[in-house]
Amino acid sequence: MKSEILYPGAFPMVRVELAAGENIKAESGAMVACSPTIDIESKMEGGFLGALSRKFLTGEKFFFQTLRASRGPGEALLAPTVPGEIAVLELDGVNEYMVQKDGFLAGADAIVIESQMQSMSRGLLGGEGFFILKISGKGMLVLNSFGAIHKIELKPNQEYIVDNSHLVAWSSTTSYNIEKATSGWVASFTSGEGFVCRFRGPGLVYIQSRNPGSFGAWIRQFIPVSE
Amino acid sequence: MIPNALCFGEEFPASGAPCFVQVGTEGLTIAFEANEDDGVKETTQFSALTVSAGGIDHDHLVVKWNSARSERTLYLRNPDVIQAFREAVPDHLDAPLAQVAERVRQVRHRRRLVWGIVGGAILSTALSLWLGLDILVEVAVSRIPVEWEQKLGESAYRDFLAHQDVVKEGPGVAAVEEMTHRLTEQIQNNPYKFQVTVVKSDVINAFALPGGYVVVFTGLMKKAESGEEVAGVLSHELNHVLQRHGLERIVKSAGLLTVVAIVFGNQQGLIGMMKQLGVELLTLKFGREQETEADLKGLALLQRAKIDPSGMIRFFERLSEKDEGRMEWLSTHPMSAARADRLKTEQAALSKTLPEPFTFDWKQVQASLGSQPVAVP
Repeated sequence: MKSEILYPGAFPMVRVELAAGENIKAESGAMVACSPTIDIESKMEGGFLGALSRKFLTGEKFFFQTLRASRGPGEALLAPTVPGEIAVLELDGVNEYMVQKDGFLAGADAIVIESQMQSMSRGLLGGEGFFILKISGKGMLVLNSFGAIHKIELKPNQEYIVDNSHLVAWSSTTSYNIEKATSGWVASFTSGEGFVCRFRGPGLVYIQSRNPGSFGAWIRQFIPVSE
Repeated sequence: MIPNALCFGEEFPASGAPCFVQVGTEGLTIAFEANEDDGVKETTQFSALTVSAGGIDHDHLVVKWNSARSERTLYLRNPDVIQAFREAVPDHLDAPLAQVAERVRQVRHRRRLVWGIVGGAILSTALSLWLGLDILVEVAVSRIPVEWEQKLGESAYRDFLAHQDVVKEGPGVAAVEEMTHRLTEQIQNNPYKFQVTVVKSDVINAFALPGGYVVVFTGLMKKAESGEEVAGVLSHELNHVLQRHGLERIVKSAGLLTVVAIVFGNQQGLIGMMKQLGVELLTLKFGREQETEADLKGLALLQRAKIDPSGMIRFFERLSEKDEGRMEWLSTHPMSAARADRLKTEQAALSKTLPEPFTFDWKQVQASLGSQPVAVP
């Protein structure tokens, strides 16, 4: 399985080459185009209950699509719904990533996707919701973001502060606390940051350069109000 | 073979180097290649190690030491490796390991506790709103003065009677008055002045408005086979008034905010609301619980008034047997065998008193209502 990011930037696609018999799972609706040798199947990842919990808990889609090169080798073009970059990670079987609910685009068949409940403070204030995806296993993982994806590398005990709602994925070896952006409550909110996530290494943190919630609020002012 | 740990250090990538950890009798051995003979292997004595809990959910065992090259940090998740490690380590690491285990337990416990508390709070709020509404409605209703209730009922009553053929006198009216008198005599601390009006109509119905205004249609009187049967319906309707069922329905349908306003004495809101709802009084439907209450209290009232209660039950049973045309009383008072059965059980439980018959002859009363038989479409 080989992958290549086409048109990197705001409107990228990822091309995945599949050898005969190989398959890849992707977010429902992610397929843009594919070779005629590839069959598209729909699958409830993690069984019915798993799919149900993913749908209701994380807001992710109930079904994933499986693209299978059942009639010989071929390629598939995949793209996310929102404008933003795509990142391809290679999972080695030990590394695990927590992925915010809209961050998953596609993954090799051997990767495992589970819903995980966050702690109350992280769920309430972290901006990623109460439920996130925990992705483990071995193989390719394709993430998508809103805006550009930036990778932060943290050494053991190294700290970094990320505004909430900018998170895409983070290693399970990192940890984070939610805290006020500034020392005072008023300044925290007037500064426009409110709450931030203080990450502590080791591990990787992938962040997105735009905040979907803020963008939504910004664009709302241009939408005419219906009578 | 899949690596079982991640090793962090100066020369490794930030995501950590996947490695193979083996627990020996003297220390830990880490290898970066699956094949034991290949690549670099590092062995560290247990005495050089420190342990802590780490990771996003504090569920990793973090082992640190200083190697010749740099500080090494090992993140362990594999339960088998952690178990082997716990069994092999010398005494000086027992206490820190116990602390790590305790920390993991604490984090899990705290998370469950917080979710439990929040979930419980949401559930109990919903439940108390659901259950508390009935109590709140009762409180609100008890704060409404009877005079207001009477004004409210009176205007609806007058509006209704203005378009009806009211029977003003005759044996029918006298009979109903006698029943009403016998029943209301037995009501203790009665704040209501009951007004019962007979209306000429073939509709088999009777209804009560808040404040004590009761209407009995001649259709119902013609259908009844004895005065006791009519008295049963009357007793039921009087108890809707006495239990203020109409007000309860109004207040409930007006919503929680109005209820709260009434409880805290905002009377203007109530007056406005009553004006709005005046028209709806005639179409008011009582709830199942209210019907049961009116049934049981009605039965007890009949008993006290020494009117044979089996008349009430018989009439209910007959109504439930066949739907003969325009039985409007049925549409607002759904009959069921269970309802009649319940009344029978209740009647059996009541002490036996000798009923006193009415002074009128029911066949003559019926004859006076007009020879026209009940319309059957």
